[in-house]
Amino acid sequence: MNEKRILVAFDGSENALRAVDYVGKVLGAAPGFQVRLLYVERVPERDFFATEAAWKEACEAQAAGVRQALAKAEAALKAAGLPEGSVGSEYLPSCRSPQNQAPACSLGTSIARDVVRVMVEGDYGTVVIGRRGVSKAEEFLFGSVSTKVMHLAKDCAVWVVA
Amino acid sequence: MESACEILARMAPDFPLQYAGSVFTDTAEFMGISYGDVISVGERNYLVLRDEAERRFGMEDPKFWVKRCRCLETGERRILKLEFFEEFPVRIGMFEAHCYRSPQKESRILDMVRGDGRFMQGETFLDAGGHNVRVLEVVQGRRLDTLIEDLPMDHATYFRQDFPGVLDKYLEACEALRFLHERGEKHGDVRRDHIFVEYQGGGWRWIDFDYAFDFHENPYGLDLFGLGNILVFLTAKGTPTPLDIPAEVVANLSPSDMSIVFGNRLVNLRKLYPYIPVELNRVLLHFSAGSEVFYDSVEELTEDLRACRALL
Repeated sequence: MNEKRILVAFDGSENALRAVDYVGKVLGAAPGFQVRLLYVERVPERDFFATEAAWKEACEAQAAGVRQALAKAEAALKAAGLPEGSVGSEYLPSCRSPQNQAPACSLGTSIARDVVRVMVEGDYGTVVIGRRGVSKAEEFLFGSVSTKVMHLAKDCAVWVVA
Repeated sequence: MESACEILARMAPDFPLQYAGSVFTDTAEFMGISYGDVISVGERNYLVLRDEAERRFGMEDPKFWVKRCRCLETGERRILKLEFFEEFPVRIGMFEAHCYRSPQKESRILDMVRGDGRFMQGETFLDAGGHNVRVLEVVQGRRLDTLIEDLPMDHATYFRQDFPGVLDKYLEACEALRFLHERGEKHGDVRRDHIFVEYQGGGWRWIDFDYAFDFHENPYGLDLFGLGNILVFLTAKGTPTPLDIPAEVVANLSPSDMSIVFGNRLVNLRKLYPYIPVELNRVLLHFSAGSEVFYDSVEELTEDLRACRALL
């Protein structure tokens, strides 16, 4: 693993922004780090829409919003002191997305597994993730990405920003 | 076009024609379709007998978009589910989840499970207005929950005599859901009254697949939660709460013995029925407030349960 390569799981939420802020503060002045923001796309559930057109429109709106948020987060990291060229982002599309043409896509069964897979494939030494703080019952019903990442990750550091 | 009166006179001569209503080829206004009307879809005519209703907590909850019908061509009973998009919050214990009633989801699953005796059967047609109409076969059977509750025996006898067979059927029902999950589908409304036990052969069939949820990290979590509730119900032959179990047992209960979601339901059943094997009780405890480990998939649950089955 490469300790200088940092992967930040990003979903545009306040928790993710807190994680980005934290990374900026910790690494902004430190030389030699590569930081990559990863967004794993979750398209809105198709069954929530009466028509294909309404669903596609919602998918497009969501994707545009996330790309904007990723750009802002990248800018925030650079503003914190990380040099140009050391910050990047990846938008991992959902295999179910109507716009998806990428060869690699997320199957949609677990964001945590996608994050860990990208981490291993990209030789990242640290994964950073925001945590919203859920009860045990919520975790049981709805799942928790950060908990699952902690369970799945091996041979790396996991920073959980709560 | 023939009137309902003419159709009924020709195809249902036993029907009292003074109650003949209208013929509907477009079902958009389903609230206005009632007894005596005829729905024409998929080259068949269905005489509407009544709206379907669900009985919960002693109250009749009418489902105006679900019609009990008789197919005039075959004479067979059918349930017609008409297109109704509904978005509503569902309370799960202290939580609220966002739910959507999706006709297309149910249609997709009906296509997927055609000929599979573990699920209700039906076909989807589009009416003249392009609306989804699901024509469902009526399951000739009884709701699982009432069937189990009404078994005339005490718990110890039930657990010894009937439960092993019940558990076998439950495992088959779990496999049915696994079949859906492996194909990217969720049941969405896994409850003990959504399994019907057939009068002939005793097969268990899942019904009602139109609930859609949007859970990103744990897409099948709600189905698993439902399976856990059913397992506890089947093991206990009911739903024990502190109000209906002996005081000396209640005195020994802690919050961790109760359901992780419904704090008043006992899950650690061995405290009430000490003859339940530890191994089976351990499976139940995965659904308790004291658990730190949860099942991620139906496969994990059934694997543990199969090991327990051998001990019964």
